[in-house]
Amino acid sequence: MSHEKFSDEFLNAFVDGELAPEEKSRVLLDMSQDEALNRRVCELKTLHDLVRTGYQNPPQSGSTPRATGDTRYRANIAAAVTLAFGILLGWLLREPVGLRTAAGPAPSQMPAPDTRTAGAAARAAPGDAAPARVLIHINDNNAVHLAQALDEVEALLAYYRAHRQNAVVEVVVNGAGLDLVRADVSAFPDRVEALLKEHRNLTIAACQNTIERLAREAGIAAQLLPGVTVIDSGVAQIMRRQQQGWAYIQV
Amino acid sequence: MRKMLSFLLALGLGVGLAAAGQAAEGYGKQKVVYHLNVDDPAQLKATVQNVQNHINAVGQENLDLRVVMHGNGIALLQQANNDADMQSKVINLKKQGIHFNVCANTLKGKKLNYKNDLFDVSEQDIVPSGVAEIAALQAKGYSYVKP
Repeated sequence: MSHEKFSDEFLNAFVDGELAPEEKSRVLLDMSQDEALNRRVCELKTLHDLVRTGYQNPPQSGSTPRATGDTRYRANIAAAVTLAFGILLGWLLREPVGLRTAAGPAPSQMPAPDTRTAGAAARAAPGDAAPARVLIHINDNNAVHLAQALDEVEALLAYYRAHRQNAVVEVVVNGAGLDLVRADVSAFPDRVEALLKEHRNLTIAACQNTIERLAREAGIAAQLLPGVTVIDSGVAQIMRRQQQGWAYIQV
Repeated sequence: MRKMLSFLLALGLGVGLAAAGQAAEGYGKQKVVYHLNVDDPAQLKATVQNVQNHINAVGQENLDLRVVMHGNGIALLQQANNDADMQSKVINLKKQGIHFNVCANTLKGKKLNYKNDLFDVSEQDIVPSGVAEIAALQAKGYSYVKP
């Protein structure tokens, strides 16, 4: 993947936190796959922080242009500290691991010594007030596997219904997984339609990129089953949903 | 006075930065859920190895790791019932604080008795729905790994 597609101006906006969530997730996605881009962003971030640190104490208006011994001494310290800060920051951000550790949420709950009680404590509490939001990703077309995947989706929706828990479930199909929702080749057209009719909190979204690739490479104009929606990119959708706090499950 | 103040300030900053550097040295604390729903023996073997490598990298004291099994993935604990090598690996991982959770829907669907058919499973290890459990854990901040 090439990182030349992002201009410095765009990446600066990213570092300054001025991008829209979609653009941000695009950069984050690319950063996770492109080390050169990652390094470039780290360099910009270091520069950004250096500038910010340097301007925390702006020069007083009306101060004498010539530095006295005392101010020069202080300026030296400030410069040294700023430099050390910059070097350290650069070192901290030198690899994606550092970035992730720095940005990740603080873990709150650690394993208790007793395996059994800890296992029960973290159990999914039925009737949780917050709605469950789950993205299920399907990207292969093995019929046995697809049948199992549909079983899982059905069981999950039944579980939430039985426990009166608010939930939204989104199935994203891309790559070979698109076959599941293609009217001409789907192994389970009736099941897909029935599931969508039965559950208003279920969406099944097909990847536009895959549809376009089929048309381009195989000359196939994919017809989708009724009720199936289309999203721009399956992979981007997965990234977006996870950033919005959705759970991700590949079945 | 001013010199001393700026010196103290720089010193404090330096100590703070050193501490920050220390914290970034390892991976820090992690909460992770491993999702297992296949029964391919090679994949099962790879999964327990992945978990061990994860412990080694992060440190037992920093890790809250749960393996959630449903569908065919339950084969891991069936195999541990019959295969001494797999059994010792599971015992070893449990000693290091790893939880193995089993889906109740799967037990029902496959008509399995967890006491006889699976290795070392107690009632507390059973979750109502494997997939819902994985979703709930992620909502609580657990990272998702599909080995």
